Amino acid sequence: MSDNAIRISDLTVRYGRMIAVDHAALDVARGSVYALVGRNGAGKSSLVRCLLGQQRPQNGSATLFGEDAWSRRTSLMQRVGVVSEDADAPPEMSVAAIARFCSRLYDKWDQDSVEARLRTFGVPLTSRFGSLSKGQKKQVSLAMALAISPELLVLDDPTLGLDVVARKSLFEEVIGDLADRGTTIFITTHDLAGVETFADRVGMMEHGRIVLDEDVDALKSRFRRIRFAAQPVAIDTAALRPTVMRSWGGGAEAIVSNYDDVSFERMRSASNIGAAEVQAMSLEEIFIAIAGGNNS
Amino acid sequence: MKNALVIAAREFEEKRFVAYAAVAFAILPFLLAVIPGISGKSPQDTIVLSALIFGTTFAVAVAVISGASFIGRDLSDGRMSFYFSRPAGSLSIWFGKLTAGILMIVGTFGFIIVPARLATGEHWTRMISSSSTWSVIYLLTIAIALFLIAHVISTFARSRSPLIVFDFAAAVICGVAIRLLVLPLVAGGAIVLLKWLAISLGIAAVVAIVGGGAWQLERGRTDRRRNHLALSQFLWTTMAAALLIAAGYVGWVVSIKPADLTGHIQASSATSGPLAVIAGNAKGRADYRGAFLLDAADGSMWRVDPWAAWSARYSRDGRSVVIPHRSGNVVDMRVYTRGKSEPVDTGLTIAGGEYIVSDDGGRIASISNSGILSIYEVATKRSLVSVRLPDPMFVRALFITPDVVRLYVNVQGGMKIMELDVRSHALRETGSIASPKFVHFCLDATGARMLVRRSREDLLTLNDARTGAVIRTLATAGQLKDADYLRDGRIAVVDGSASAMVLHILAADGTPQHDISLGAKQTASIVGDDGTRVVVSDTDAASGRRMLEAVNIGSSVIEHREPIRDSVLSGTFQLRPPIEPLHEVLYIGDEGRVLAWSPATGATRMITGG
Repeated sequence: MSDNAIRISDLTVRYGRMIAVDHAALDVARGSVYALVGRNGAGKSSLVRCLLGQQRPQNGSATLFGEDAWSRRTSLMQRVGVVSEDADAPPEMSVAAIARFCSRLYDKWDQDSVEARLRTFGVPLTSRFGSLSKGQKKQVSLAMALAISPELLVLDDPTLGLDVVARKSLFEEVIGDLADRGTTIFITTHDLAGVETFADRVGMMEHGRIVLDEDVDALKSRFRRIRFAAQPVAIDTAALRPTVMRSWGGGAEAIVSNYDDVSFERMRSASNIGAAEVQAMSLEEIFIAIAGGNNS
Repeated sequence: MKNALVIAAREFEEKRFVAYAAVAFAILPFLLAVIPGISGKSPQDTIVLSALIFGTTFAVAVAVISGASFIGRDLSDGRMSFYFSRPAGSLSIWFGKLTAGILMIVGTFGFIIVPARLATGEHWTRMISSSSTWSVIYLLTIAIALFLIAHVISTFARSRSPLIVFDFAAAVICGVAIRLLVLPLVAGGAIVLLKWLAISLGIAAVVAIVGGGAWQLERGRTDRRRNHLALSQFLWTTMAAALLIAAGYVGWVVSIKPADLTGHIQASSATSGPLAVIAGNAKGRADYRGAFLLDAADGSMWRVDPWAAWSARYSRDGRSVVIPHRSGNVVDMRVYTRGKSEPVDTGLTIAGGEYIVSDDGGRIASISNSGILSIYEVATKRSLVSVRLPDPMFVRALFITPDVVRLYVNVQGGMKIMELDVRSHALRETGSIASPKFVHFCLDATGARMLVRRSREDLLTLNDARTGAVIRTLATAGQLKDADYLRDGRIAVVDGSASAMVLHILAADGTPQHDISLGAKQTASIVGDDGTRVVVSDTDAASGRRMLEAVNIGSSVIEHREPIRDSVLSGTFQLRPPIEPLHEVLYIGDEGRVLAWSPATGATRMITGG
């Protein structure tokens, strides 16, 4: 039995000459929450499609629970709940019909949980799927995905179209609860603030490449914003690996990606720069710093 | 299997409004039947007809609309992940949706047709005929074919992939390839083979589309362009394989040689020279008919149309033959000449009627069904003259010289004799023969005299061939069987009873010379002569066996006998004796093979089936 719920190795997806995913590799341990972030067009959805066995990569592999996602998709989907980026059920179907259809395909199905969740979300069973709002469609998809008590939940940009309350509910009540129960969660999102509290590991894609794949705690511990009271004349910040260095107020601001207290104190004493404020950064700030740094 | 049914059930549920609409259309024929202005005298007629029209239209519409949407729309709308993110295999998704689509077509058709069928009872069978069951099956087959084709076009078009240019090219190539396969089979009159080719390619197309659908979802899954690519690969590869196999078989079928001909032989041969047309079927080639113009002397051959055995007109000198060739809806005349590898396409086209060729093959006369007589010159490919015959009935004609065509026109109460002079364009009546019965006749080599006898009469007269005037009544012993001119101008007559058939040799003026007993024969006819021997085709009275007999007219001895199964048409359209002596007689032997028999030596050689 594999320790990883997900393993992506050397995965490459091309559309004609365009490379959507470029030799991507990542592992997601069982029971962990993995957040994959990236700007639009970074290749997240292509990677998710490979992960769900919906698309065959030109190179490399995607495995779920140690089995190839492409060739073993049908049986693997018994263990995987999916909330797609675009709500995909036929618009003519009622929510009840979707639940009935899904219940016949899965070996285990908890109809009560579906009805309870939809009640909580305020989505009537009799509604036509096509008549629901984008957020409600996501909620219906989520209710279906959770009805099988999945070992792995794949959420492709689940907050798209959700209002603030629904988003908070999704993250705190649903995903948080599942994470606590040991369900592996793979989520692609732009909402870094939402996943920051429960994501164990974060990956970042840019131009099809995975430019970051790290535990959230480690990532957050090594990124710092340092604000200097005065413009330093000559400081050596190389050891801290600055990603951004710019003027700020009357002084300067540096964002470093390899912060540690010892190195920082050594730098400060060597440069004699006086007052400096060191601030922890949110995932969102780190994402912007990395994305900005890579773009510059 | 279970998942396929689940998906099929879902499709039904989604499209249940189609069933409601079908029920509404099922009621409509009964409503029309009670509307006075529409129903006419028989309300049941109205029910039957309107149910058929509505049922057909509805089934076809459902087929096209469902086919265009059941996969293609889900792909283009990005909804295929609804299935693929669940534990449903590609095959389950495809066959579930396919089953639902086909059952929808059949079901809605049934909804509309069955109530009308039950309500009209025997009236239905009287009106639609006993083949109505097959009509319904054909109709549903067409609807399902449209459903599958609509799926393919929809997948291709909705993918918005430039690959559609390749698909278009592949479809055109397939169409051209099918046409190339069909044309030689049509030319060979192979109706059964064409039917089997159509069924085989139809099955291949169904396999290609149904298998391609499964393959596209297995390989392409939620990606519309990859679906297109996978379907395209499977479809065209399967069709290419099927067409290659079909081409291989058709190629083998049309590569038939005269030696392969073994069944249903039809043949005709020139009275002069070795040209003959032989057509027949061969083992393993179903009803395909290979037809060849053979030069039995040097073995050279040309492929000709399968009906050429009847339509070939041999020149009297035995060097040329005119054979019509069908190309599409046009039948053009080709002249084949011994020693020339390619025929001359005269540019002359015909649409029914009769045609003859001059003694040297240089001119052709055609008589259309509407009674237009036209003379063409082969060398210059131009029409020399055209005239309308006054009484376009049954006409027998011959070139007396290249510039004079004589016509024997059957009219009420006898036969008119006319001549067309090509140089003066004048058509003149030169004589007539009064007869209440059909007149059989043949001319001497010069065309000056003719032997005339009325149908089923024993009276034989020698007449002037130009005026029809009787010169002399020829003596026969009764029960006249056949009479013909020999090449040297003498006359041969066969008559007598079944127990004693006699061959009479008469001088050119009709004076009896000597009689030769042929023995007990049921029938007998004169085939030709080589100057020494007269060849008679007869049926032995005792055994019932058909024979060719070479009768030496000098010694009155039957020199050689050859048992035959059937004779080969020879001289049927030739009114005068041949120029060249008869060297060989073609016949069909017991094995269905064509053989050549020499009356001089009695030797035989195999022409086909060897």
